[in-house]
Amino acid sequence: MIKVTTPPAANPHPRLRPGRYGIAIAVAGVVAVALVASSFLNYVYLDTIPGRASLYGLLAVALIALGTYILVRAFSRDRAMRRKHLIRAGVLIGLGVLLWLLLIDVFVFTQSAGPGVAAICVLVCLPTTGFGLLVVRRMDRNEKEPWRLVLVAAAWGAIVATSLVIWGETIWEATAQRSLVPGPGLDASTAFMAGVLEELAKGSAVVLLFLVMRDEFDDVVDGIVYGAAVGLGFNFMESVTYMTNLYAIFQPEGIGGYAAGFQWYARQVLGLFFGHATYTAFIGAGIGIARQLPSVRQKGFAIASGFIVAIAAHFSWDAWLTFFPIQNSVFGLVEIHMRTLIMTGPFTAAIIALLIFGVRFEGQNLLDQLRKEASDGFGAILPDEVAVLASPWQRLKQRLRALNQGGPREYLATARLQSAQLDLAMERWHRERKEIDTPLGAEVQLRLRVIAMRPRSAP
Amino acid sequence: MPSAPYDQVRTLYRTILVFATVGVLVLIVGLVEFVHFEPPGQATGAKARIVGVYVYDPATGATSGSDQGQFARSQQFAAVVDWSSLPSGITVDARWYDAFGDVVGRAGPGTPAQLAAHQVVPVVVPSGFHHSLPGSYTFVVERIQGAIPVEVLARRIVLVQRT
Repeated sequence: MIKVTTPPAANPHPRLRPGRYGIAIAVAGVVAVALVASSFLNYVYLDTIPGRASLYGLLAVALIALGTYILVRAFSRDRAMRRKHLIRAGVLIGLGVLLWLLLIDVFVFTQSAGPGVAAICVLVCLPTTGFGLLVVRRMDRNEKEPWRLVLVAAAWGAIVATSLVIWGETIWEATAQRSLVPGPGLDASTAFMAGVLEELAKGSAVVLLFLVMRDEFDDVVDGIVYGAAVGLGFNFMESVTYMTNLYAIFQPEGIGGYAAGFQWYARQVLGLFFGHATYTAFIGAGIGIARQLPSVRQKGFAIASGFIVAIAAHFSWDAWLTFFPIQNSVFGLVEIHMRTLIMTGPFTAAIIALLIFGVRFEGQNLLDQLRKEASDGFGAILPDEVAVLASPWQRLKQRLRALNQGGPREYLATARLQSAQLDLAMERWHRERKEIDTPLGAEVQLRLRVIAMRPRSAP
Repeated sequence: MPSAPYDQVRTLYRTILVFATVGVLVLIVGLVEFVHFEPPGQATGAKARIVGVYVYDPATGATSGSDQGQFARSQQFAAVVDWSSLPSGITVDARWYDAFGDVVGRAGPGTPAQLAAHQVVPVVVPSGFHHSLPGSYTFVVERIQGAIPVEVLARRIVLVQRT
């Protein structure tokens, strides 16, 4: 067993492969077992169309899980191997998505509303969810997360998390419906179910990203971004399910389009950020804070806290929605918005407060590291560049200047240089705080990478 | 931007702990609500007898056919309750809930003797609609205490098909 690395790591581990990979494998194993068990139980006991989709969808879920794993790991390999792994990942994910969409279309959505309506529902939800992901990614002003990971997070929320909860929610609902007094007590039970099961399912994706992609999971801001992305993916699939289902229920009465349209507005416009995105962002925030805490005990408390807030926020919406009845009048339109603002608004405000604090904290520390790197005189960051790199607006202005001078190629080269310089500052920050288990050589490599970029795009 | 003067991760950590405390309070309120509407120790041992769920004719108020577990969307249906199977000193009611949890038919509350004339409890088609909405319908006979249903004395679940 290798005890030390050369050059030495800031926070040395007894083995080269960190212990978190073991935890990641265990979490992935639990997720896989839960998915398989869920699918078989759905098929055997539910004997419904979703049960069949769940069983036949296992292969699609496995292909997507394997494909996304290969995809995110591909970028930590050298250039020669990266291309090979990207092709493999692309093929697996493509097959998985096609298979999944086929199953969903054939067995669930088209069964209830028909293929045309199912396709329209998907198409109208795509732009709003895409807009949500764009906004969420841009929230990290200092160091944006790679699109590949943001999309992986959303895909997990949409496909894996929704598949995980089918069995648990069906059993819970069936048991509660047969044993509890209908009314607020049953509503509270169902709300506990949704809060606990759905947040655990979504949270598992954020936990896995935290364990496997530590290099791209820096702090509370990154956690909020990944958590919200998982929530947006989950919200996408849930929106399509509700829209097609309610269309099928109300269409014989001639108001199917209205019912589906209302669901779209409630979930994809009004509830785009005031819903699953907010809930799961709390899980990400807890994990992001844990990332920078020194003791295991504090890490545990931070992660548990994120899950508790997410479950509580989700629970409060589901349980107490009926206490805010909506009038069947024009004023009802105002009430719908007020209800969302009053019930989910405080939680969304709380996560925004954490985000603003996190962005400021990250920005201050990156500035500190940029100054230190510039004063060390290695040449990766020059003293004149510090003010530009510390400000998103200044960075944009610099890229636009490059665009004017050298066209899109120069713009992209400048963007890559800025990104590499910020990566270096982030690496320094984590090393200073002893939050990193890669050897010092990684930092040296980052510095050399920045220096190598300079001749092509020096500002 | 000024340099970071102290470790602000501690502030973030404390903030999320405060939020978690609020979250725990929310969940405790939910638990209290659950216990209030689902109070423990309410089992009296009394059982109501639901004779069956039948096709219903709103014009005559009569049921017909055999006891069914599924109905077509165009069919109207009603439950038939044998109130005489219940002890006389309790207050009860009967309700139909649709798949959205809305009450779509009821009889009572009253004593079993007062409800003897209401053996047939139909599902009412929602105002403005032509037929009942599809999905799972739950019929319950409940014991009422302090204006709150505290115990289900009998229960039937039927399915209204989409076609």
